[in-house]
Amino acid sequence: MGSGYALLAIGFTLIFGVLRRLNLSYGPSIMVGVFFGTFLFIQFQAGWYTVLVGTVLGAAIAGAYVERLCFWAIKKGAAVASMVSSFAVWMQLEEGVTIAFPDRTYEFPALGDFELIELAGLSVRQEHVIMLGIAAILVFALHQLLYRTRFGLAVRAVSEDPNAALFMGVNTGRVIFLAFILASAIGGIAGYFIMATEEVITPKFGLQATFKGLIAMMLGGMGSVPGAIAGGLLLGVVEKQAEWYAGAVWRDIAAFMLLFAFLIVRPGGLLAQHTAARDLAALRRV
Amino acid sequence: MDDHVITVLNNIGGFSFIALSAYLLLLSGEISFGQQAFFGIGAYASGMFTAMFGLSFWIALPLAMLVAGLAAAAVGALTLRLRGLYFAIATLAFAETIRLILVATTWQVDVDGEPVGPNGSEGLGNIRWGFDNEYAPVDFLWMIYGSLGIVLLLFFLMERSRLGSIVRTIGADRLLAETQGINVTRYKILVAGLAGALAAIGGAFYAHIQTTVYPENFDVMLGVHSLAYGLIGGLGTAVGPILGVLLDVGFLEAVEWIQGYRMIAFGGLVAVLLIFMPRGILDERRVHLLRLMLRGRRPDIHGAAGH
Repeated sequence: MGSGYALLAIGFTLIFGVLRRLNLSYGPSIMVGVFFGTFLFIQFQAGWYTVLVGTVLGAAIAGAYVERLCFWAIKKGAAVASMVSSFAVWMQLEEGVTIAFPDRTYEFPALGDFELIELAGLSVRQEHVIMLGIAAILVFALHQLLYRTRFGLAVRAVSEDPNAALFMGVNTGRVIFLAFILASAIGGIAGYFIMATEEVITPKFGLQATFKGLIAMMLGGMGSVPGAIAGGLLLGVVEKQAEWYAGAVWRDIAAFMLLFAFLIVRPGGLLAQHTAARDLAALRRV
Repeated sequence: MDDHVITVLNNIGGFSFIALSAYLLLLSGEISFGQQAFFGIGAYASGMFTAMFGLSFWIALPLAMLVAGLAAAAVGALTLRLRGLYFAIATLAFAETIRLILVATTWQVDVDGEPVGPNGSEGLGNIRWGFDNEYAPVDFLWMIYGSLGIVLLLFFLMERSRLGSIVRTIGADRLLAETQGINVTRYKILVAGLAGALAAIGGAFYAHIQTTVYPENFDVMLGVHSLAYGLIGGLGTAVGPILGVLLDVGFLEAVEWIQGYRMIAFGGLVAVLLIFMPRGILDERRVHLLRLMLRGRRPDIHGAAGH
């Protein structure tokens, strides 16, 4: 479970890192993608490969719509307006999906029939092992993209200082747009694998995806990819423990309490030392 | 007036309190996603006081405000170090924790042979004070708008007072406020507490009109809506958030052909509006222009349009 959260958090952190704005519509964009995937499955009995591509594509298109309407069109310095606007679009997406898919729940194709396997004395679902593997591969690919290509360099430059990047000839608008789509696509992959293990989808998934991704990102430290992974894994472990000892309701309570406690005690998250230091430096400069 | 109109008006009034609550925090420079927690605490506390312990609404209301205000001040004190987004997420985490704890809590007492009290996701029912004392929806209408009038009056007085300028100064620039010798810590906690109590008024009315409240009534949707009301209506005056509520609950609820597509219409409206007016319809500049026009002076176009 934790690796799914980690993937969600990576997408979130990518958007936040580049834009310094919060995209509340992140989860709902993924939801749109997941519903598109399930539509392909129900209508055309598409195989897992097509469903995955459809999910990612749907999420990316929804993400592009959100970026144009809520972030590109709204002036710089109006971060709150962007956030509220992305929330408004969230409601749009959720109701749009509810109208297009009027039943409460839909079936989502499972990856396949897997047996439980024994691993070091624990019984583990194979889907979770596959998810962990996919997460690892994606993180590696993302790392290569961010640190080995010109596009990655541009993304990091915009993240560091958008104005300086602009003066250096980086087309910031385009970089932000592409990073946004990339993040939504990663979210789509995460959404696909989470759904393939749960096998049932509802429009509420948008809310869950935003929350879980947000919590995992904040636990790890905003704008940090390793932090997002650590936060996602931590969240997964804590939720499972709480569910095991106290019941299903306490799973979410534990997640939010953990987040609240973390924000009070260590607002920078697990692995965000350098951003905390940077904020401090910015404060001193004033 | 027919019942539907009264219900809509009561809803507008009730949600105006939480919109004003979010607006007050926005003035002090904080974005809260968690005001629904204090709306919910106000609803549950006042409902428990009247339904479980037989208190009058007029005693339960200030008590509920006190409970919610103290809780909000405590959250404000805990989150003092956090700014911007971190504050928003912390308040969201708090509100969701409260909501889920309400889902997990059952505590009922016997009233006239019936169990009354919070019952997990079944909610808190049997809040019959209005029914027992023969209060019709119209009577609640007067109560709500009377209270709203008092709150608005207090807001206008505050905007003209030292407190108002202190709050706006903190909102504009915290460091500046500190160098002016303002005790920012104390005012932040004060504003958080006041905002919590304000949201609780709306919650108390809501509970006694609905007679049953559920934890899911106070989910994040309510919180972000209340924030959106201020941003649509405008951050220049306390009338702004109420205008936002009017637009959402009043306009979209009233226009029937939008039914079923309400969120799509409202979402699109908000998104487009915020592109052209990032600080809402009644932002500081337009409020200033309106004031000048009301006083019969020609607005100074150059100064006002210079932004």
